[in-house]
Amino acid sequence: MYPLKTAFSSLGRNAMMTLASIVTIACCLFLLGVFLLITFNINYIGSQVSEKCELQAYINEWTSDLGEERILKEISALPNVDTAEFESKEQAFENARAMGEEMDEALEGMEGEDIFRSSVKVTLKDLTLADETAAQMAAVSGVAKVNNRRDIIRKVISVTNVIRIGSLIAMLILVLTAIFIIRNTIELSVHAREEEIHIMKFVGATDSFIRRPFVMEGIIVGLIGAAIAITVIAFGYSALALHAESLRDVKIYSFSETAAPLIVGVLAFGLLMGGVGSRAAVKRHLKV
Amino acid sequence: MIEFRDVTVIYDNDIVGLENVSFKIDDGEFVFLVGKTGAGKSSAIKLMTGEIKPFAGDVILNGVTVNTLKPKKLPYLRRSVGVVFQDFRLLNNKTVYENVAFAMEVVRASKKEIRRKVPTILSLVGLTGRAQNYPGELSGGEQQRVCIARALVNSPAIVIADEPTGNLDVETADEIMKLLMEINRMGTTIVMVTHSEKIVNDAHRRVIQLESGVVVRDEAEGGYSCVPS
Repeated sequence: MYPLKTAFSSLGRNAMMTLASIVTIACCLFLLGVFLLITFNINYIGSQVSEKCELQAYINEWTSDLGEERILKEISALPNVDTAEFESKEQAFENARAMGEEMDEALEGMEGEDIFRSSVKVTLKDLTLADETAAQMAAVSGVAKVNNRRDIIRKVISVTNVIRIGSLIAMLILVLTAIFIIRNTIELSVHAREEEIHIMKFVGATDSFIRRPFVMEGIIVGLIGAAIAITVIAFGYSALALHAESLRDVKIYSFSETAAPLIVGVLAFGLLMGGVGSRAAVKRHLKV
Repeated sequence: MIEFRDVTVIYDNDIVGLENVSFKIDDGEFVFLVGKTGAGKSSAIKLMTGEIKPFAGDVILNGVTVNTLKPKKLPYLRRSVGVVFQDFRLLNNKTVYENVAFAMEVVRASKKEIRRKVPTILSLVGLTGRAQNYPGELSGGEQQRVCIARALVNSPAIVIADEPTGNLDVETADEIMKLLMEINRMGTTIVMVTHSEKIVNDAHRRVIQLESGVVVRDEAEGGYSCVPS
């Protein structure tokens, strides 16, 4: 009870500074939440794009129906293969014609001719292993050639990695900034109560007893900041997700899908920053 | 019991605070620590409260070697040592009662114990009627009494008084001395730093005199200055 009571009265005493800290922390945590959402969605979009980055194994012309079935089975059984779908010559022809008017015109009257080959289209579990999987597919007897869209796959991997690392660095900077802000706020409280701390030390208070109200103060600032940040993100992201529903090629998570990890994440960061910042503020003053 | 065994204190700027100082203060003694400014009195007090560590030697309080004590254990040792400051160091936003109770709160005494003990201590120092006053409403002597009450409330075996009468007039200083003598009669060891010749000469108690960090005199019933032979 003593630490909580002291923490609240101290926050009230430095009301303006407390308010300024809460707003700044809320801004930091808002940005942190945004980066968390970017990271979540990058993984999600990456998995959607990877589904589109398929490998295609073309089958030798003279392969029998049974042989084609065997090839499909062998490719499906490869460890990194997520889905494998057989496409016959005829289906390939029809798909090509369906691609557009020009293609349709070009292919008119060519039905029954061996323009296309049967193939197996494959999506991968892990895009980074695309080269190995392509080699394994090429090694399957009856496969003439594997079309590996290496460049696209590499681009997807590198873009998602850059965004992921960028988000992590930004989050780290934000966390350090917020810790610094909380540390300064609590430092003011510590200065205001320096004499009290000195007396406490002399009458035998333990460091943890002295530290507790300040840590509590930091945690309160951190948690209020987190609550504000979460509220703003909830409204903003819900509106954005509603807009994104109209996108054709990629989808992003709805707010309800990300709410739990986001709330836990932002609150945890608020708690952590409050605790670490205030501990750092008191540390120097405990050496009596 | 307080014991200094060949204690040397050297500060960061190479200034020697104490040099090979040895003395022993038994339980229940009243000892004056005298000497000029810079003689080493403050160093001795800081060693007893664990504020500084000696460069060499040992400081033993109630059987515990203070200088080898882990920082986490220091608060528990400090509970057996009450400190009275020259400048009182009272919390101005707390009443007399709260200032004394605060010393018990920080060592996590129960509310019941606080309610029982604080009025008793305030009565001992003659401040029963001032319990609800703030330090700013008290005279210097009364503020020092609050400081003494705060030092005593956790029943320490030793009280270290660092110039407790330094900011008081002669009459009030006498009252404070009477109070400290009374506390000593009840069994508490008292180590008092003072520059007051009158107080030391009137008390006829043990005097340890320091000069340039060295004990130059340790007399059982000494005066403020050396008696010329």
